[in-house]
Amino acid sequence: MFEIAYGSDGEVLCVGRLDAAQCEKAQSFMDEIGDTRTLDFSALEYISSAGLGILLKTQKRLAASGAALKIVNVNKHIYDVFRYSGFNAIFDIKEKQ
Amino acid sequence: MHKDFARDYDSLTALYQFAEGILAANDIGEAIHFPVHLALEELFTNMVKYSPDTDGDIGVDVVVEGGAVTVTLTEEDVDEFDVTRPRDVDTGAPLAERTPGGLGLYLLQNIVDSLEYDYHDRRSSVVFTKESG
Repeated sequence: MFEIAYGSDGEVLCVGRLDAAQCEKAQSFMDEIGDTRTLDFSALEYISSAGLGILLKTQKRLAASGAALKIVNVNKHIYDVFRYSGFNAIFDIKEKQ
Repeated sequence: MHKDFARDYDSLTALYQFAEGILAANDIGEAIHFPVHLALEELFTNMVKYSPDTDGDIGVDVVVEGGAVTVTLTEEDVDEFDVTRPRDVDTGAPLAERTPGGLGLYLLQNIVDSLEYDYHDRRSSVVFTKESG
């Protein structure tokens, strides 16, 4: 199960498991983002390389216009994946407290 | 425990549920679940992606012994694809030089404790182990 939607403050809420089978849904949503936006991962349990690809593609598109994705409330396992991938250097990421 | 899965990304939920059930039944620590699921998905999707000319199922075996989780994926009638070969991924590259793709097997190789590949008679077998603790 994976859900993605805007929260009450304009942040993007990601919920569940972002695996390769969910990428089409995630990509469609991300393609509509045109400005700097915060992704709230507090309810995202899992991400694979397929999900990382969507984040990277979106970040590169936004960077062209000076915007960026910021990611907050990242769980330890997902943060480890970001760290292994070097994504902690190309995204503004905050771990879940 | 063994189960065959259709060669399709839509099998990922059933694959997750299959592995999660075994991990939970064997009281495997929560810290091991994520890397096992990630390694399993990266290998499964790699098999789906790089063997488009075959439609046979992918067999998955999950064994828990002494706190270690060993997973074997097998497929028949496929070309050779050595997943243990080092991947050339520059994880320090700046955003402008990064391209989507190529991270899956790199991640796999960094999160498992052992990884073996065997290929003969057009049959591929991949075995990975993740130790607890």
